[in-house]
Amino acid sequence: MKDSELVITGIGIISPAGIGKDAFWQGLCEGKNCLGDITLFSTDGFNVKKACEITDFNPLDFIHKRHLRTLDRSTRLLIAATSLALEDSGININEQNTFDTGFVAGSTFGSLHSIFQFDREGLIEGPKYVNPSFFPNTVINSPASQAAIQFKIKGFNTTISTGLCASLDAFIYACDFLRLKRANTVLVGGVEELCEEIFMGLYQCGLLSGLDGSEPICSPFDKNRNGLVLSEGAAVLVLERKEHALRRDAPVLAMVVSYANSFSPNKKQSSGLEISINRALKSANLKPEDIDLVFSSANSTKELDRLEAGVIKSIFGKKVKITAIKSTIGEPCSASGGFLLSSASMALTTKLVPPTVNSKELDPECDINLVTEGGGLSGLKRVMVIGSDPYGNSSAIILQGYES
Amino acid sequence: MKKVVITGIGLITSIGIGKEEFWKNLLSGRSGISPVTAFDTKEHFTHLGGEVKNFSPEDMGLSEYIDTCSRASLLAISATKLAIEDSGLNLSAEHPTDTAVCIGTTMGAVQSSEFINEQMVLHGVQQFRREEISKVPTHSTSSIVSRLNKLSGPSMMFSTACAAGNYAIGYGTDLIRLGRAQIALVGGAEPFSKVAFTGFNQFKAVAPEKCQPFDKNRKGMMVAEGAAVLVLESLEHALERGAEIYAEVLGYGLSCDAKHMTTPSVEGIVLCMKKALRYSGITPDEVDYISAHGTGTIANDRAEVAAIKEVFGNRYREIPVSSIKSMLGHTMGAASAIEASACALAIKTGYIPPTINFETPDPDCDVDCVPNVARKQEVYIAMNNSYAFGGNNASLILKKFS
Repeated sequence: MKDSELVITGIGIISPAGIGKDAFWQGLCEGKNCLGDITLFSTDGFNVKKACEITDFNPLDFIHKRHLRTLDRSTRLLIAATSLALEDSGININEQNTFDTGFVAGSTFGSLHSIFQFDREGLIEGPKYVNPSFFPNTVINSPASQAAIQFKIKGFNTTISTGLCASLDAFIYACDFLRLKRANTVLVGGVEELCEEIFMGLYQCGLLSGLDGSEPICSPFDKNRNGLVLSEGAAVLVLERKEHALRRDAPVLAMVVSYANSFSPNKKQSSGLEISINRALKSANLKPEDIDLVFSSANSTKELDRLEAGVIKSIFGKKVKITAIKSTIGEPCSASGGFLLSSASMALTTKLVPPTVNSKELDPECDINLVTEGGGLSGLKRVMVIGSDPYGNSSAIILQGYES
Repeated sequence: MKKVVITGIGLITSIGIGKEEFWKNLLSGRSGISPVTAFDTKEHFTHLGGEVKNFSPEDMGLSEYIDTCSRASLLAISATKLAIEDSGLNLSAEHPTDTAVCIGTTMGAVQSSEFINEQMVLHGVQQFRREEISKVPTHSTSSIVSRLNKLSGPSMMFSTACAAGNYAIGYGTDLIRLGRAQIALVGGAEPFSKVAFTGFNQFKAVAPEKCQPFDKNRKGMMVAEGAAVLVLESLEHALERGAEIYAEVLGYGLSCDAKHMTTPSVEGIVLCMKKALRYSGITPDEVDYISAHGTGTIANDRAEVAAIKEVFGNRYREIPVSSIKSMLGHTMGAASAIEASACALAIKTGYIPPTINFETPDPDCDVDCVPNVARKQEVYIAMNNSYAFGGNNASLILKKFS
């Protein structure tokens, strides 16, 4: 056994499709409708009124009331997902293992709402009247650090902000740290909360679906796609070295094969994703045909979907199966990589493929082998998760099923 | 293991743009603290900060980016430009695919958020230009550094608050050692933030006049801004092209207090320094300069000195421990990158920067803080400490290259 072999042994998810990995997976496989009226803030003045908001999340199920008061929504979501991930993997963090346990989270807009609220209070009430107990929420690492405080995780704590690639880059960083033997276990994931600041930003940039007042719909690769549906949530995966997992008889969900990330410095945004995918394949000595299924980060925006379809076609041809789970759960920004990696792991353990719902007629430029009807895929052995961000980041991670 | 060295330094600070001006002023003990002009402070308890008053993207030849980049990004691309020039590399032509970017920050483009917020709250503005909104995402900073220099290597943004610079330098080193990059542009950038200024003011943690780390009568920290970017490359690559080498990056250690969001923990800091030494393969006896986190708050200074005593034992008084935050204030996500630059320059030049404003010794902080005057002293191994909100700790070790 190579000491660099890494496995995923637990998943914790708070998502619009469900709380906990099983509910999340069932929601994805059924193509659950997660779209609903936004209740977290007023949508007056916006043509879009809906998003994928998590409606059944009760933080008190996970966090003691006494700790809850000052924690913002992102932090609550991430702590809850961490709690579920630890439970799922059967890890109990204690004085013996805490120094060999790390925490890495992807979060880009996670503190934006707290920053705006804190600043707003100063603008309206005057800076001398701002409540200082909310100041710690304004640092972007607040969710990850609060999770470390909650579960006493002392090895290291890192927050990575690379937008839609943040959780995938966090996962890559976690893999590096494990391979460099800086930890035995890393909890890794991402979080983003639904808030009016992100909503307004995406709305005014023209990126949301339903800007013309029509019902928002997330239909990746579809000819008539008209933008993304904003979402939220947190996903945390437990990642450990294989020998460490086997020693404690952990339930192995998937194995890490290889990974790569890169950047597209020019207008032709596909170059970075091509590099990432090719490097991930090459570093594992794999050919494109060795990948059975691609989890695309397509989110129903014109450019991003076209970019991913184009790169997939050029590397894999038109045969490889592709699914885009954002059709069900919407765009949870920095948390999306965590959701993608979790569903890839679940697909490998259950041999099921979640469908891309809503996509009825493919954009001619996106003529890929899109899985629109979910179901079993008996030979499912190896999957690739890809991510792309409009600012130029891209990441690719290959996972495979575990056979003891 | 592959050796990684620093071959370029770019600095945008309140006491100097570029490494020459910065280093000259740092050694002469010049303060970069001045009245805050980024916003009106008349309703705040304090009114001074460490703004970079003479920073001009135009002078840097980057005027075309002013309209589309946040101040965080402008600081970062300017420091990057200086660092690349200093290294003598032609990155976009010669290393487009094997150069990584790792930038650290605390709140990223917070000035852009504050601008939008003020327009909405005070002036009722509802519509914003796409350019204005596009400045807000944190990774717009790492992205523009990669894009501007036409680099397709990994482009990472670390948001680990006031230790972010060290996180970025550390991971850049990892990427070179892991063979995923030949060169890495690493550092940190932070704009002057009203949110930070207000928050620390409300914590009663800001000094009204000056930052006095390790002084018994210290009154707190000073909010500041700035950026530092370093060029890292593999030793063999640096030697091959005959590059000037400032220092070698030996390693770094991270730890997490997991105790409290804002109060530092001695245990966490000790662990962090010990890991840095272990991963660098050195003993505490080999360290001959410590660049302290040294914010100038009682909580920080006492915890840091207690931790230094625990790690270095009886030797702690023999090691110079200075805080350049006494001159610059706390530049947040940029701080440890600026301090790492100072460590590299100390190693290169054989001078240790002072802790200025030191008047009355604090018996609880009886380290040799190089009071008020720079010291001519060879530095072979320097430790650069940084601690952040959330208990994110990072210590970096640099070594003289010979």
